[in-house]
Amino acid sequence: MKRFLETGNFAITEGAILGGCRFFCGYPITPATELAEAMSLRLPQVNGVYLQAEDECAAMHLCIGASLGGMKSMTATSGPGFILYADPYGWALGCEAPMVVMNSGRVGPVSGITGAPGQGEFYLTRYPTQGGNFETITLAPNSAQECLKIIVEAFYLSERLRMPITVLGDQLLTDGMEDISVPENDDEMKEMGLRVWPRLYHKGPDFYPASDALDIPPVQMGYDTGALCSDWTPTVEGYDIEEVEEHHKHAYRLIYKVRNNPQLYEDFYEKKYMDDDPDLVVVSYGTPSRVVNTAVERARSEGLKVGALRLINLWPFPDRHFSRKTKYLVVELNWDGQLVREVQRAAPKDAEVKFLGCCGDLPTIPDLMETFTKMLKNQPLERKGWVLEAW
Amino acid sequence: MQYQSSALVDDYLRTRKIPSTACSGCGLGINHKVVIQAISELGLKTKDIIWGTAIGCAGRQTFATWKGDGFAGTHGRVYAIARGLRVALPRDKKIVLTVGDGDAFGIGLLHLIHAARSNAGFTVIVMDNLGYQSTGGQFGFTTPQGAKTDSSPYGMFEHNLMSEGMDVMHILKGAGATFLARHTATDGLAAVESVKKAISNNGFSLVHMPYPCPTNFGSRHLGNRNAVNILRWMQKHTAPLGQEKPDTIWATGVYHDARGSRPELSELVWDSVGKIRRTGKL
Repeated sequence: MKRFLETGNFAITEGAILGGCRFFCGYPITPATELAEAMSLRLPQVNGVYLQAEDECAAMHLCIGASLGGMKSMTATSGPGFILYADPYGWALGCEAPMVVMNSGRVGPVSGITGAPGQGEFYLTRYPTQGGNFETITLAPNSAQECLKIIVEAFYLSERLRMPITVLGDQLLTDGMEDISVPENDDEMKEMGLRVWPRLYHKGPDFYPASDALDIPPVQMGYDTGALCSDWTPTVEGYDIEEVEEHHKHAYRLIYKVRNNPQLYEDFYEKKYMDDDPDLVVVSYGTPSRVVNTAVERARSEGLKVGALRLINLWPFPDRHFSRKTKYLVVELNWDGQLVREVQRAAPKDAEVKFLGCCGDLPTIPDLMETFTKMLKNQPLERKGWVLEAW
Repeated sequence: MQYQSSALVDDYLRTRKIPSTACSGCGLGINHKVVIQAISELGLKTKDIIWGTAIGCAGRQTFATWKGDGFAGTHGRVYAIARGLRVALPRDKKIVLTVGDGDAFGIGLLHLIHAARSNAGFTVIVMDNLGYQSTGGQFGFTTPQGAKTDSSPYGMFEHNLMSEGMDVMHILKGAGATFLARHTATDGLAAVESVKKAISNNGFSLVHMPYPCPTNFGSRHLGNRNAVNILRWMQKHTAPLGQEKPDTIWATGVYHDARGSRPELSELVWDSVGKIRRTGKL
């Protein structure tokens, strides 16, 4: 095991290489640029290729091409670039091309603040492209070390489910420096719970079987199998067709290969002080969860019955964590509230679900403590911030 | 021509998709045959070529016609997909892309230019049906000036990429393409020879192949859907490079032949990766 004091971007690079990534195509954007830079340094050393594209749309399309040709591929960006993935993301979902997409969130809308963390793409990672009729998987680590593990896992899932997987981070996560351990051999990989699935190729002729089965190898070019893939609705052989019944079979597979195999991703969450049915559950993901965890520890030491639920698997949304009627506080790095809407939907109708948002900066422990106390005492939460007070 | 169409179909195409669902009188099949004949004359087999297409008439009508492996990209993006694929595929595999004029010279022009810049080893055949025809017949960026289309009912008056001294070929040459040619569907064997050169180029090749669309372009601009009429009209406005007349729209022939003058993308990439691995530097 090698230890480093390095950034999340470093951990993602090493994780990707461990997961088998040998093709990275990106476009410079703060705060994902350092990841592209690290890839350009590291990939050639392990017989991999780094290419820089003319825009993010092209970058993910190049990854699609490399994936079709048998290389495990990855791209990374931030919100303004992630929206340009809309086009290739749909193609990759429809043609079931495995790859990993990293999104390091900053403050929006549009270019917003480039060098500060935000969580404005929670829903965008669920609906990253047009047309619907698909399910997506999003994973959100909260530390550099976890970045490494989650990226390896994302490559594993992308191969077994033959689909793009999104890893959602934020500027603090990818730019922040932390202690990172990188395994040096297979035994150390196993010890850290890192799994790798090899790239296989589909021998045909039914390249798009009407089935929710796992482990159907992806459609690959260059093996002379008569492989076909396109942006149109495919027949099982891959021919383009305009028939509702064929479309239904295809959409069913895209949706249910994910929904019917939750064992692959449902264990990705973290619970703290959740065993005694707490009176208040604080829900978060990514970097703010680290402040939340500290605040919940503080609350417990002061006798408040508060628990912390951190989601790592964001999509498909893990409804089962919210079956209990209690109070929920959802902490996010945005002012509009995104995750809170899913919690409201998943929680019992008479559960109390509140939102604490901030953006560009992390919530503070005093703010969190004050909110916990008010919620537990059934006091109303005040709107914070000068703009809101002025209204 | 040297080959019967049926023999070419047996060797290279899927009978499920040939004949295609193109409109009566569509010229796409003429160009498609030119490309297949060039492949046949080069002695290439289905395993040697990965066939990519885009969308619109040219993309959809040629997708899955090739007996070997094939893919279709979304509108304008196939040049980016093909660059990634080029790097991943073994060097002996060739990539041929059949795309439309809107795809190449409109929505995909940025990606096309960067494919030329990087001298990516594939051949782009631009099947130019004089505009956006699968959406009903709107003008594109190489639609002849003055043409009446569904979106230019008074005649197409915008500057475009193929008139007034401008030519998309100049852009692509400046961007670094190593083989460029233009042939209309009336050019016959001359087009086959150019496509052979394009496919044999170890680098970025593009052949611009305008063909007649009687259904939309003919009916709108020429007043009827007669396939022979629009072919004659195209022939009248076509002349070999250097022999242009005042009414020539399409000057045909080889525009640029710099085959072998620059390293091809994937060769450059893998040679560089190899050097870095061995020595730690370039």
